[in-house]
Amino acid sequence: MTSQYAGELCTLLVEDNFGELFARIFSTLNRYDRLSFSRLKFYSRLSNAQLRHGLAAMIQQHLVYHYTSYDDGITYYEPNMQSAYYLVRSGKILELIEHRLGKYAATVMSTIMFLGHAQVGYLETLPALRPSNSDVNRASEERGGIHETEEYHGEEARQETEEHRETEGRPNGLNSDYTSSERPALLHPTLKALAGHGYILRVRDAQFQSYADNALDAERTIKSRPDIKALKGKKLDEAVTEGTLELLKERLDGDLTRGLMFNGVPRGAKRRHTTGATEASNKKARVDYAAVDEDEDGGEENEWSDDDFGEDTIPMESGITVRINYEKLDVALRNRRFLELAERDSSPVTAEVYESLLRRIEYQTAKCRDTTEIPREGEEGEHYSVPVPLRAVVEDVDLFLDLAGSVGPMEVSQPINRRGKRPLEETTNGAAHDGTNGGQSDGNRTYEVDQHLCLLAQPPYSLTSKRMVSGLITWTVEFRHLARKLRHLELERIIEARYGDVALRVVRVLHDKGKLDEKRLQEISLLPFKDLRQVLASMQTGGFVDLQEVPRDALRQPSKTIFLWFYDPDRVGNSVLEDTYKAMSRCLQRLRFERSRLKEFLEKTERSDVKGNEERYLSEAELTLLGQWRAKEALLLGEVARLDEMVAVIRDY
Amino acid sequence: MASAGASGASVTELASKLYEHCLNNYPPDQLFYQQDLLGLGIVPKSDLALLLRCTQSLVDQKLFRLLQGKNDRLAWKIISREDAEKLQNLSPDESLVYNVIHSTGRNGIWVRAIGTRTGLHKSILDRCLKSLEGKNYIKSVHNVKFPSRKMYMLAGLAPSEDVTGGAWFTDGVLDENFINTVAGYIEYTVSRKSWVEVPSADAHRTKRIKTSDGSVSVKQEAGQKTFIPFPAGYRGYPTVSMLTDAVNESGITPVRLGEESITQLLDMLCYDGKLVALNSGEMYKSVKNPEAVKQSQARKPAGEDKGIDDRLVTNGMTEAPCGTCPVFKLCAPGGAVSPESCEYFDPWLEKALGF
Ligand code: SF4
Repeated sequence: MTSQYAGELCTLLVEDNFGELFARIFSTLNRYDRLSFSRLKFYSRLSNAQLRHGLAAMIQQHLVYHYTSYDDGITYYEPNMQSAYYLVRSGKILELIEHRLGKYAATVMSTIMFLGHAQVGYLETLPALRPSNSDVNRASEERGGIHETEEYHGEEARQETEEHRETEGRPNGLNSDYTSSERPALLHPTLKALAGHGYILRVRDAQFQSYADNALDAERTIKSRPDIKALKGKKLDEAVTEGTLELLKERLDGDLTRGLMFNGVPRGAKRRHTTGATEASNKKARVDYAAVDEDEDGGEENEWSDDDFGEDTIPMESGITVRINYEKLDVALRNRRFLELAERDSSPVTAEVYESLLRRIEYQTAKCRDTTEIPREGEEGEHYSVPVPLRAVVEDVDLFLDLAGSVGPMEVSQPINRRGKRPLEETTNGAAHDGTNGGQSDGNRTYEVDQHLCLLAQPPYSLTSKRMVSGLITWTVEFRHLARKLRHLELERIIEARYGDVALRVVRVLHDKGKLDEKRLQEISLLPFKDLRQVLASMQTGGFVDLQEVPRDALRQPSKTIFLWFYDPDRVGNSVLEDTYKAMSRCLQRLRFERSRLKEFLEKTERSDVKGNEERYLSEAELTLLGQWRAKEALLLGEVARLDEMVAVIRDY
Repeated sequence: MASAGASGASVTELASKLYEHCLNNYPPDQLFYQQDLLGLGIVPKSDLALLLRCTQSLVDQKLFRLLQGKNDRLAWKIISREDAEKLQNLSPDESLVYNVIHSTGRNGIWVRAIGTRTGLHKSILDRCLKSLEGKNYIKSVHNVKFPSRKMYMLAGLAPSEDVTGGAWFTDGVLDENFINTVAGYIEYTVSRKSWVEVPSADAHRTKRIKTSDGSVSVKQEAGQKTFIPFPAGYRGYPTVSMLTDAVNESGITPVRLGEESITQLLDMLCYDGKLVALNSGEMYKSVKNPEAVKQSQARKPAGEDKGIDDRLVTNGMTEAPCGTCPVFKLCAPGGAVSPESCEYFDPWLEKALGF
């Protein structure tokens, strides 16, 4: 994350989100990496007041690390590239949250995001987060958050008519009875849901310092412990390393899921299948999720605490400060990519089964990988997810999902020359009907879910793998293998788009076989020499393949030299990553330029009297222009998000 | 002298006995060392000198070929009478050349290499080659690996796969059309065995499909066939030998193709992401269902407009103008090429938005 283009991009992101002052500070820090206040002031040419204000706010946003040295007592500032970069992923994250936990949860999330971090008590006071009757909504209509809240209510109401009338009707009623001056009824259950899923975490002091500083600090602490001081040599080193890591973990740990998880699942998240669709998220956020937390001690009772809701009464401690847990969200986003991979070649039913498994796995996976560096090809070990018992997956899969109808029969094996498919079809039919019409026994369903998971375990992707854990069937996912697959696919897509499918074949051969001379390469790829040479040459120019010369004598005569072609996905990946950063920057810069072209017009539309009343104040032509501008903006930002997906795959997963 | 004469006669006799014995009792390319020949018990008293005289006489008659075996030991091979006859008619130079060419068997030998090995002058060598070719003893062959080299081998031999490149080469050139035809046939054949066709009238199924988006393998347009996969562990997928038979019976290939050739093609199809090898190549499964295979094959020759679903799905870098920009490396804000002065964005925006 320290490359030139990453720096450029992060500065742009900071500027777009927070304005020039932040950007000035950020870019200065980015250039010099680590500065004291006075140096920073000198380089950035800002006044004391500006700088103090800026730094304080940026620290709150986690855009700047600060660290006060033990030796000289001076405080140093450093840019936090990671969180600056995550600004670009916020849209995707909110979308995910909305999909999972509903509109209101997304609003809460975006509020926390906007604030950097926030105390629960402060969130309670925000009008935007106060779900209440429609009067209040209308009063503060211009606030985006409320818009969303209102929609949320609409959706909820609709759902309510569909099911769980008795449970859902109640809180709604309560909501309108109690005015907004009361404790926000939805906020706490939602925060708990977010915490239970691990999407938010508690802010710890150590998080304001860079990892390196924390590590040094922890090491110092450990070394000064008397029991450690007594050790010597290798033992000392070991004890220090181990102790440091432990202490670091403890200091940085902001995990809020404790007590909110039950059997590896966030409380209440289990009723997914009863609704038969993923839209269950709203209800989940609402009823199931308002989960009680026995471990949490404090907390007064609120108006929810009548007997029907006896289990979800205890609110979040209002003293806790929370922030977004990007690491965990990357896990969720990565799972979504795995699912997309499954959707490409499997039936929708299989994909849905896979989603159930992935969901279970997500709950128990804290981050994508342990190392911060991008792992090198062939140097990373296997990393299996937690094993999820088959039974648990079965429980989660929608009861109305027709599992049998999308897998063929095992027994029928057609000899290759036989044409007639009659008997085959009949068997399939029979099986399908058995599955749907006849009451399915549990055993049958378990078997069928297992079948779908087995399908996913097959090559080429091996999306799942089966494990027997003390006699029980469990299913896991090999993260590293799949993350690598995603990475390769991403690179292959570029290669195919730039150099054609022939190039893709060549690269895959090279990737599989290692270094090859032209002749071997031709024999395997079965391409005419002319085409092969052409495609190799253009890929070499593009930096996707390389040529190694192996001289057979000291004179290095070309005629006696073997030329070997190879494909190095690490190198290619890194350069693609840089290019992606750069492309993202260019898109953002272009967007800025497009905006400056329409500056005056856009300023008009943003005037407080015009905004929200566009129809009233703008002419027909202006409305069209505004629409076009919005489409343009959306397209460019969408493209940046698409590029970010590549960054995620190459760098973060 | 008399004894010498007597032994001379006996040498010829012994030699022909030796030759007959070797010819009748051993395969034609058996390598004989001194001990082997002595061990036959034909030369009395294991007289080494006598044996060497015999073999020399056979070599002179072109019935034996002198070779160097392991550790530089002398060794011989027998030559059939017909070949011997041929060789006897050759000039010493020609026979030298012939022997060198013979020694390389089905691999053939490059003219230059013959030159270095025989030590003959180029003009003499050329004459020898011409006369040998004229007698139809040798032929020139085309080597795929060294298309520019002039190579020779004995006329009666079929060039090895190394030389021809295997079944997929015609006259040393990769036969693209042939490859594509057979590959297409294989993909479709495998596909037909990889999916189960179910009638789309199945009401429940279609309902299910409609609720989930992103259906890939299952098409649901009216009249379209629906395909579902076999369960994992299914063993009815085609094997190499089944496919080889199918190809050979199909009439699309003028020559019989061997299993190695078909395997080569199957590997290629795997690299193309069209087939998947199961149990390390024991069976093959197709990624696309038969309908989809048909569609993509029908589209290919029809026009250059490549179908989207034939490619991997696109990503950010392939979509954004910068990802395909020819001046990407030069582009910097404020520079000669910059995002502000960029001429690729406007057309791109226009195309995407339609205004
Ligand atoms: S010239 Fe335009 S398309 Fe090319 S890199 Fe720069 S901004 Fe992107």
